[in-house]
Amino acid sequence: MSPSPAPTRDSLAGKLPVSLITGFLGSGKTTLLKRLLRDPGMNRAAVIINEFGEVGIDHELVASSSESMTLLSNGCLCCTVRTDLQETLRELFIKRRAGEVMAFDRVFVETTGLADPVPVLHTLQTDGMLGAQYRLDCVVTLIDAVNGLQNLDDMPEAAKQAAVADRIVITKSDIAEPGAVAALEARLARMNPYAAHCLAVNGEVDVAFLRDVGPRSTHAMPQDLERWLAPSGEARPEGAYLGERVRAGAHDAAIRSFCLWFEKAFTWDTFSAAVQVLTSLRGSDLLRVKGFVNVAGEPGPVLVQGAQHVFHPPVTLEAWAGEDRRSRIVFITRNLSRESVEALFAAVGTLAAPLN
Amino acid sequence: MAQPLPGMKPRPDQELALNMKLVSHHELEGFGGIGEGMGMQLSRDGRRILWLAHESAPKNFTAVDVTDPRNPRVVVQTELPHAKVRSNSLDVVGDIMAVAYQTSAVNTKPAGFDLFDIGKPESPKLISHFDASGEHSRGVHAVWFVDGEYVHMASGAPDFQPTNPADDQFYRIVDVRKPAKPEEVGRWWLPGTRVGDSTPPLARHPKFDSGYRAHNTNVFPQRPDRAYVGYISGGAVILDIADKSRPKLISHWRYSPPYTGFTHTVLPLFERGLLIVSDECVHPDGKDWPKLVWVVDARLESNPVPISTFPLPPVEAFAKNGGRFGAHNLHENLPVPGSWKSEDVIVGTFFGGGVRAFDVSNPYQPQEIAYFVPPAPKLSRAGSIQLNDVYVDDRRLVYTVDRFAGGLYVLEMTI
Repeated sequence: MSPSPAPTRDSLAGKLPVSLITGFLGSGKTTLLKRLLRDPGMNRAAVIINEFGEVGIDHELVASSSESMTLLSNGCLCCTVRTDLQETLRELFIKRRAGEVMAFDRVFVETTGLADPVPVLHTLQTDGMLGAQYRLDCVVTLIDAVNGLQNLDDMPEAAKQAAVADRIVITKSDIAEPGAVAALEARLARMNPYAAHCLAVNGEVDVAFLRDVGPRSTHAMPQDLERWLAPSGEARPEGAYLGERVRAGAHDAAIRSFCLWFEKAFTWDTFSAAVQVLTSLRGSDLLRVKGFVNVAGEPGPVLVQGAQHVFHPPVTLEAWAGEDRRSRIVFITRNLSRESVEALFAAVGTLAAPLN
Repeated sequence: MAQPLPGMKPRPDQELALNMKLVSHHELEGFGGIGEGMGMQLSRDGRRILWLAHESAPKNFTAVDVTDPRNPRVVVQTELPHAKVRSNSLDVVGDIMAVAYQTSAVNTKPAGFDLFDIGKPESPKLISHFDASGEHSRGVHAVWFVDGEYVHMASGAPDFQPTNPADDQFYRIVDVRKPAKPEEVGRWWLPGTRVGDSTPPLARHPKFDSGYRAHNTNVFPQRPDRAYVGYISGGAVILDIADKSRPKLISHWRYSPPYTGFTHTVLPLFERGLLIVSDECVHPDGKDWPKLVWVVDARLESNPVPISTFPLPPVEAFAKNGGRFGAHNLHENLPVPGSWKSEDVIVGTFFGGGVRAFDVSNPYQPQEIAYFVPPAPKLSRAGSIQLNDVYVDDRRLVYTVDRFAGGLYVLEMTI
């Protein structure tokens, strides 16, 4: 990968945003989807679900439908996954272009409860046609306040879902034991302090919380990047460090999240060399990487994001907004310490040819 | 082949959009049928005035103040003298505008072009009329006027008798350096189309004979010695006009038949050695499909080689919605202030297929990157939108017009 030349096309604004909705079995995904499908704010959204039966769409809500697609009276397009998500997303785009479905402007994708969300992220990055038409906006993870802590302990997939999230929706707070929400929030804050949380009872959540999370344009402003990387305010650098010392559950003990800042500009070769070493040696332990990099010679910050072995094509923003030119990268890792990653970047940095 | 879903057929009453957003829409005081003349004036008082030639009578041209694209305002709208003439085409250089006049029958006036002083956009003042009427002439179909010195045009002439009445409009160059006294300085026609030519009359297109006629006659400052001419049934023509009085054929790319004719625009991308060649769809219901936009390798201008076509949306979804569906006008990188210029992104109109933008940075695999298909305009006789022409300004705003009723649509591209 290498950064695109001075952009003549806005490689973010031109793509349809996709939000992934993930969550363990019983976390309340179906309830949330039921609410979403009826929300007036969803009038240009396409929602890909696993089964119609689950969300129980009433007949009076249906404007038109076929075996796998239903247009709801609020303008929301609901469809079920056909053979696989890749094919469903392709088919949706083709039908959109032919005017066979309405011109939806965003997509919500329900992943199955047991699913590891990372392969779904890869789908968007590795399929050329999908990558050209869609961009990942965010990963939304639902965690229920009743069983959530236990699941994080017992189920590696649940921990992984929480670790990769950009947004976390805590459900069933109304029927949870007193203190359960606070305990869950504290746990999540240690595990993934870079995701914003909200509470949803009976699936009631503000649609705005689930969309427009990732940068939407190469003209993105600092506040857009801030919302993406640190939505709940600046995570203190030592937070992650302390977090590693607090007793954690059996499965997510190994999950760490930290943000690295770099004062000096990278050459693209240096940065990509470091990333390549990291992905080739420890790719499966890089649950999520996202951030922006100061690359010498580029007009603005270069956005990078990836999951495990696969990175999105880097996107160069049009300009830096202020004086602060530091690179800033969030890592969510498994069995991989902040110190190791820092040391790798430092080592590669010392080998790099000096900047002119 | 994408099949419509039951209950979800493509509907001409719905808006389709990708990476283009409607900023405003103006029905032009109820006269929303616009031809293929769009020019932008950056007026002395700092306004952006978009000049539009109507597709047919009763209106001649309309000027719209688009300084604030969210709030377009009609500045002036003019009348034609009678219903057997239409303007269809215009171009603007500084404060001078050339407007074409084509008649529905030969021997009818006015047939030619007018030059207007539009220094005060509210009150255009006629400077002169160039008469091209005659026994075999229907006047001027399209003008190209970008340097303030010469009008290049597809025109008949009183002294030109075509071998076939459909071949009446050929390439003419008119010197307008003295705007009050326009004078023809050169002409070229496809050999065999004029009575008396040594070349015998040409074989007609067996099914879609729209004539061996010039359509767009483009000349750019990068190559003032070249004219790029769409010659309808005759294909794409490159002429050496170093000596304007004696244009010489450099190359002639013919692809109809087997294709269905009507080569409309030949747009050179000089830095890339490419030509973008557009057809015009002229029959409804997909009868003359495919009408395409071609990418042509013109590194060797004497041997143009087609290498790809723009990927259009499925014909099954658009061809039967009423009216035409297929290629027509392109934004032609007009070499005048205010016009957007791009050698990578080409924007065109496709009648019922709306306005579409294509990335040709890889010329072998053009990609569609944006489109906007407005819903069928109320009162349109076609039954679907029929976007006819497009102009992109240097703010990357896209102006596109309906052929019958919809008027002007102003769009923002988010590419």
